[in-house]
Amino acid sequence: MRRATALALAMALAVPLPLGAQTTGSTRLVGRVPPAAQPAIDSIIAIAVAESLPTEPLIQKTLEGSAKNVPPDRLVSGVRRGLLQLRAAHLIVAEALPGQPVPDAHVVAVAAALARGVPEPIVTRLVTLAPTEAPGPALHAVADLIAHHFNPDSAVDLLVEAHNKGLRGMRLLDVAVAADHYLQRGGGRTPAEALAHVRAMLPNVPPAEAVTRHGTNGS
Amino acid sequence: MSPIDPRLQEALDGERDPGTLPADLREAYDRLTGAAQLLAGAPRLSVSARVMAQIRKAPHPQPGESSTQRALRWLGRPRAVTVRLRPMWTLALAAGLTAVLLLPFQNGSTPQPGNAEGVAQFVGHFPGARSVEVVGSFNDWSRGMLHLNDDDGDGIWHGAAVLPAGQHEYMFVVDGERWVPDPLAGRYVDDGFGAGQQNSLLIVRPATAEP
Repeated sequence: MRRATALALAMALAVPLPLGAQTTGSTRLVGRVPPAAQPAIDSIIAIAVAESLPTEPLIQKTLEGSAKNVPPDRLVSGVRRGLLQLRAAHLIVAEALPGQPVPDAHVVAVAAALARGVPEPIVTRLVTLAPTEAPGPALHAVADLIAHHFNPDSAVDLLVEAHNKGLRGMRLLDVAVAADHYLQRGGGRTPAEALAHVRAMLPNVPPAEAVTRHGTNGS
Repeated sequence: MSPIDPRLQEALDGERDPGTLPADLREAYDRLTGAAQLLAGAPRLSVSARVMAQIRKAPHPQPGESSTQRALRWLGRPRAVTVRLRPMWTLALAAGLTAVLLLPFQNGSTPQPGNAEGVAQFVGHFPGARSVEVVGSFNDWSRGMLHLNDDDGDGIWHGAAVLPAGQHEYMFVVDGERWVPDPLAGRYVDDGFGAGQQNSLLIVRPATAEP
């Protein structure tokens, strides 16, 4: 046992990890990235580290592309696109929190909303609404409404009103679910009517289940 | 060894009429002659003769017999096997088998989420599929970690997992090679690799009540 420990320690000392790999978690990429893409991926992650951007989404995108056997050039393009979204997200959050540290979780959530196609002004408005709160649920709520053909400005108006009436976190997702359910009940209802219906309910929108069942509650 | 009565000896040698023997000697005479008849009826084979007979009965390789046929014949022949068991290893083996038998029940139970975790249920209709698994950001896009089940063979595959609360991207992998978005996800996002493929998007709510 003692010999095994000594051997493991010797191996760890003999193969030191690059400093960047130790701090970014990119050791998870070892052996999973096509060799042709490896230098470009390393470069993109190094840029993210240099700009104080979170690297986890880039690592995830690399692992995803490798698992899907995406050709190296497209894999690198996908990860680079992720870097650009993180950069844009960092700017939005930094403007919403002037003079304060930019939380990685905020940047990741904003980047995810941009990836889902939420327009930057909408994202900015929701992040600025409550800069110290986690913006993820509100951003997903508005992204859901936009994906279901609700007017983006009207959708964000509803979410701002819900927030003003005390709804926070995942309860903001319930607002989007309630509007979508009202619309799907048919009878010629329009998205505007659905938003008006939910606005009249605020803050008493029905809560969704904790267990995520796809296709039943839209979560 | 007690000496035999001379009258009994004479009767056994045929030199005396057994009917003239006293009753006790007549009884002994009858037992001895009966035993002699039994011995006379048994085959007179020595040990070596019996061994040689077994060898002759054993099948021999035929001139045209292949190595496969010889191997099959060797496998089909009964053999004496001696198994020596140590109680400690026997008990360890029994404990291991018990654990293996109990595992399916544990897998079938509802997973219990901790703080900042939630339960995600996955359902997909893939008739004729041999396997369906879920691969996504929650398992570093690694294969073989979250398999769905179709125990009744109706083509509806399902499974559940405890995941960290928050957003996760994922896809189904059918038969180990076909990447398919979850048709029931309700949320999708372009995977960014330029082929127009979409990931399913899952938002896991924490199981604990929110403030």
